[in-house]
Amino acid sequence: MTATAAGPAVDARGLVKVFERGRRTFWQRLRGEPDRRERFHAVDGIDLRVERGEIFGLLGPNGAGKTTTMKMLATLLIPTSGTISVLGIDVLARPRDVRARLGAMLSGERSLYWKLTARENLEYFAALYHVPPRQTRARIDDALTSVKLLDREQYSTGMRQRLALARALLPDPPLVILDEPTVGLDPQAARDLRARVRELRSQGRTVLLTTHYMEEADQLCDRVAIIDHGRIVALDTPGALKRTIRAEEVVRLEIGLADDGAAVLERLGRSATVARSERHNGTLAVTAHCASARDFVPAAFDAARSAGATIQHVEVVPVTLEDVFISLTGRALRE
Amino acid sequence: MSLLAADARAFVAAARKELRMWRRYPLFILGLLFWPIVLPATWVLMGQAYSGGGDARALAAFAERAGTTEFAGFVFVGYAMYMWLSNLLWGPGTALRQEQIRGSLEAVFLTPTSRLVALFAPPISHLPFSLLNFVTMGLTLWLVFGIVLPLGPVLEAMVVIAIGIPSMYAIGSLFAASVLRFGETGPIVQLVRGTFVLACGITFPLVMLPGWAQAGAALLPPTYIVADIRTVLFRGVGLGAIAVDLVLLLAFAGLITLLAVWVFRILETSARRRGTLGSY
Repeated sequence: MTATAAGPAVDARGLVKVFERGRRTFWQRLRGEPDRRERFHAVDGIDLRVERGEIFGLLGPNGAGKTTTMKMLATLLIPTSGTISVLGIDVLARPRDVRARLGAMLSGERSLYWKLTARENLEYFAALYHVPPRQTRARIDDALTSVKLLDREQYSTGMRQRLALARALLPDPPLVILDEPTVGLDPQAARDLRARVRELRSQGRTVLLTTHYMEEADQLCDRVAIIDHGRIVALDTPGALKRTIRAEEVVRLEIGLADDGAAVLERLGRSATVARSERHNGTLAVTAHCASARDFVPAAFDAARSAGATIQHVEVVPVTLEDVFISLTGRALRE
Repeated sequence: MSLLAADARAFVAAARKELRMWRRYPLFILGLLFWPIVLPATWVLMGQAYSGGGDARALAAFAERAGTTEFAGFVFVGYAMYMWLSNLLWGPGTALRQEQIRGSLEAVFLTPTSRLVALFAPPISHLPFSLLNFVTMGLTLWLVFGIVLPLGPVLEAMVVIAIGIPSMYAIGSLFAASVLRFGETGPIVQLVRGTFVLACGITFPLVMLPGWAQAGAALLPPTYIVADIRTVLFRGVGLGAIAVDLVLLLAFAGLITLLAVWVFRILETSARRRGTLGSY
């Protein structure tokens, strides 16, 4: 790995990215018509510090600003405002130096040449990453071995994702950024890839990844930033984030309704925190945070009965990052 | 390894990658052999028909305008230029666009290699195909139309081609750069290719154009390349007679390359601001 100055692996401050929607034609400019393009804040003032040697996760729903943030860190996007330092190097002033120290896997399998074999793909990118010719063969062998991939012409989606990871490792980077690395993978392939990511940390590399899978963030990351609407709404270790819920357990209920459900919700709220409720076809889905499910569930049945409703399904689950997200935003990650 | 040497190696690797991908499409190679024979042959047959089967007076009238009675050779050289132009206007831009659609352009731009490699390497990978065109057409002229090109003029024509390569590839790169801004370049390429065919004397002697159009043609590198190849092949004059043209071609190459780099830099920065590098 290339030695770099001390300090955090990533230090971003006041990061903002505004995109314009719509078009302003040449004639509109010529006629001096007002600019009516809509401005959309994809990233809206993010401060981020990723320490060296940790796996740091950006967790949020689709469209939250995760990929935009990653692309700004990786020099693919120019921020509207803010500063970014990667491994002590100013991204805007010295983008090539940053790219030389960065292994990135963005848009996963799409970024490979399917008409080339794995080795041909890696030979090409080794040259682009300025890997010395004498080291190229060994680097490619190491990269393929590290993702447990053989050279071949046909790949499954999981193999392509692993090949994209192998490519990111070619420059032997101290910092690896992975954008939704397990999207589209079957459970086994996703487990394998997560194991590879843990190995990267054990090799002393810093890993910054985005995901909208709460389990992935929970299992893999040393610290997680929850991002929504372009802003970081919480940042801590998964355990500390879950402790912010102030509940020991989460109870999910499905309640058959005869009315609008307001009465039963009001009664449930007396013995737990109703984090989320959603009506669908006469059924009310409720997520409640409570100190003890053993105490809350009988109370919930009493509340439903007295409101003329029927509890159809009860599920008691431990607190997850999804619950943290719900408590912070009032929405589920996949909404 | 210095940065320049590393970029040069990346440049070779990028051109090699393009060639490796073309290797997976054997039918494309078949097309390269088929079209350079069939299409110019139809033009030659049309010429023979219009000249009354090679009537002496018609040939003399043609020679007065074109400087040679070898109208088959004239047509084939023009068509070779047409194919070269088509490859260059379509090829590099399409390659860059394909990278954008595939998602690999962002992966390339994530590496420390100069981003100009992505602009200039695909055009170079088209060079073997263009050379194959020239060879195929030379063989067709010899085997089908009985026109034997002497070795000396052929070598001189190759010098003209070699000197014309930088300016032609600069044109290709200029068009490829526009992909970053406009996405599809098809309509622009059609327009420009048509203009080149009309203005540069690809299929007819330049003197057939009105004076103002000839002045415009003098600003386009293909005009010099096609005219100079015909001059050395069919008029029996050496490179000395076209030395000024060759210097001009090198000057065009420098200017257009600088323009392509400038346009690419502006559009690449714009794409990084607008987030359109990976959009399709």
